[in-house]
Amino acid sequence: MNRGRLGKYSLWQFRDFVIERGIAILIIGFLWGYVLIAPFRAANGPRPMLNPSSPMWPLLITVASSIVSLSVLIAVNGIVSTDRKMGYYRFLFSKPVSVIAYYVQLYFVHMMGVVAAMLVLSGILRAIIPDFSIVNYLLYTVLIFVAMGGIGFFISVATRFDWVTLAAVWLGSRALRDLYGAKPGLPGKLVQVLPPVHRLNDLSNSLITNGSAHTNDVIWLLSYGALFFVLGLVLLRQGSLAD
Amino acid sequence: MAVVPTTAVLNRASALVIEFRNVGKTYKSLLGNSVKAVEEFSLQVVEGEILGIAGPNGAGKTTIIAMMLGYLRPTKGTVEINGLPARTYIERNGIGYLSELIAINPKWRADTALVRYATLAGISDAEIPSRVNEVIEKLGLAEHRDKKVKALSKGNLQRLGLAQALLRDDQIVVLDEPTHGLDPVWTQRFRGIVEEMRRADRTILIASHNLDELQRLADRVAIIDHGRLQRVVSTGYEQNAPTATRFRVTLAGGFDQIRESFPLAESAGKGEYDVTVRSIQELNTALADLISRGALVASVVPERSVLEQQFREAVGESQ
Repeated sequence: MNRGRLGKYSLWQFRDFVIERGIAILIIGFLWGYVLIAPFRAANGPRPMLNPSSPMWPLLITVASSIVSLSVLIAVNGIVSTDRKMGYYRFLFSKPVSVIAYYVQLYFVHMMGVVAAMLVLSGILRAIIPDFSIVNYLLYTVLIFVAMGGIGFFISVATRFDWVTLAAVWLGSRALRDLYGAKPGLPGKLVQVLPPVHRLNDLSNSLITNGSAHTNDVIWLLSYGALFFVLGLVLLRQGSLAD
Repeated sequence: MAVVPTTAVLNRASALVIEFRNVGKTYKSLLGNSVKAVEEFSLQVVEGEILGIAGPNGAGKTTIIAMMLGYLRPTKGTVEINGLPARTYIERNGIGYLSELIAINPKWRADTALVRYATLAGISDAEIPSRVNEVIEKLGLAEHRDKKVKALSKGNLQRLGLAQALLRDDQIVVLDEPTHGLDPVWTQRFRGIVEEMRRADRTILIASHNLDELQRLADRVAIIDHGRLQRVVSTGYEQNAPTATRFRVTLAGGFDQIRESFPLAESAGKGEYDVTVRSIQELNTALADLISRGALVASVVPERSVLEQQFREAVGESQ
């Protein structure tokens, strides 16, 4: 008997990503970018002189990095839980394919999908703002996909209400770190185990603008995401799809 | 009819394919409440066998199948297929599976859904079109192949589910409520399809509420109630049935002879009589006597099938 052709199936997974998520990501990103850029163009002409020394540059980076975070949220939402909730796993995994391999592949296909969408959006932005680096933006996208996507993947395995949970974890971590991160005592120590979202502002600024970042920040974010991704896979292996 | 020990195999010369060994599944809620869905379930299924699984609603049939596919982890015990943990076997070999709930993405087209499943099943690109066309023709889906899954009727969706289960030439086929939603014509055709699938090296499991269907298709039927295996019934008649069986005899002539051959026959009107015998041999002897007396026997039908009788005994008349 032949084993399942999972590699070939990645084309179907990518197609599903484009139709169900990619188009939405592009529309949201385009509209968000348009709302930011249109007033500049109206005031300063079709190619406004927006560069890293401009006062509006940090706002551009904030919007650009927010689009990445939102895209990752859309991309990992229901990545495992939808198949479980809707029962699609029944026919998929009666075929000779590994559940783990299927979802690892799906995770990377979605990562490629988000990178492709960000390539399109950053390409448009680059045409208007020549100082905006496409490569730096895509590096930041991959970093956030691993960091946030890894946690999202774990949540999608562990719960059936993943986007709400991921949004709560991501935003809640930020709020709690802002409130207690610098304080001594137990609360200050406890918030250290939360996702390192407080490092994102500095990281997005330096990485998207200059293509550089503190190694510790990058390692910390990548490790956190990768750890949760692996924990998600372990949970998937040890748990029951039908529970 | 025969009740066979629950751990017995149909034919000891055949290879053991599926083995449930003292399997239990308990669901626990966050509040600490627990429900035992399956308890101490042991069963062996051999190569070439069609095994039916029958039981009332909530008996545990679907849970047992989910554990066999590795979709649910048993709380205790093991399920093995060809000596491997069930999930390991399926990830290496695949099985043909039709679930009770046909869950296919409603946005997919019927034929592309089959192409996707064929790809996952390991069928080559060159072979996929012919395999997909074959199952589409076999299940009468040609006029629906371009439709989105969400546009299919319940019966057509059921047939699409069955089509994806038949894409590969799997050694093991599991069908959970396969005729649910099918019209009488397709229910009949389904039986033909299962008979075609029967082969010495293939094992088929069919879970169904429809005892008549299981009586016709299965070699043995495992009757489950309250998560426990109550008995395993061989569906064939045996010469010396251990319990009394009622038959309805319809005569086209020679009505006055019936009580000569069947002294306790009860008239049901219009030439029909209910008779009780202790064995098939006794039935045949009495029928031969009746015919020799000049009666014209039009039909002899058991009041209940072997399986129905066993089922009622196993789970109680209330079911």
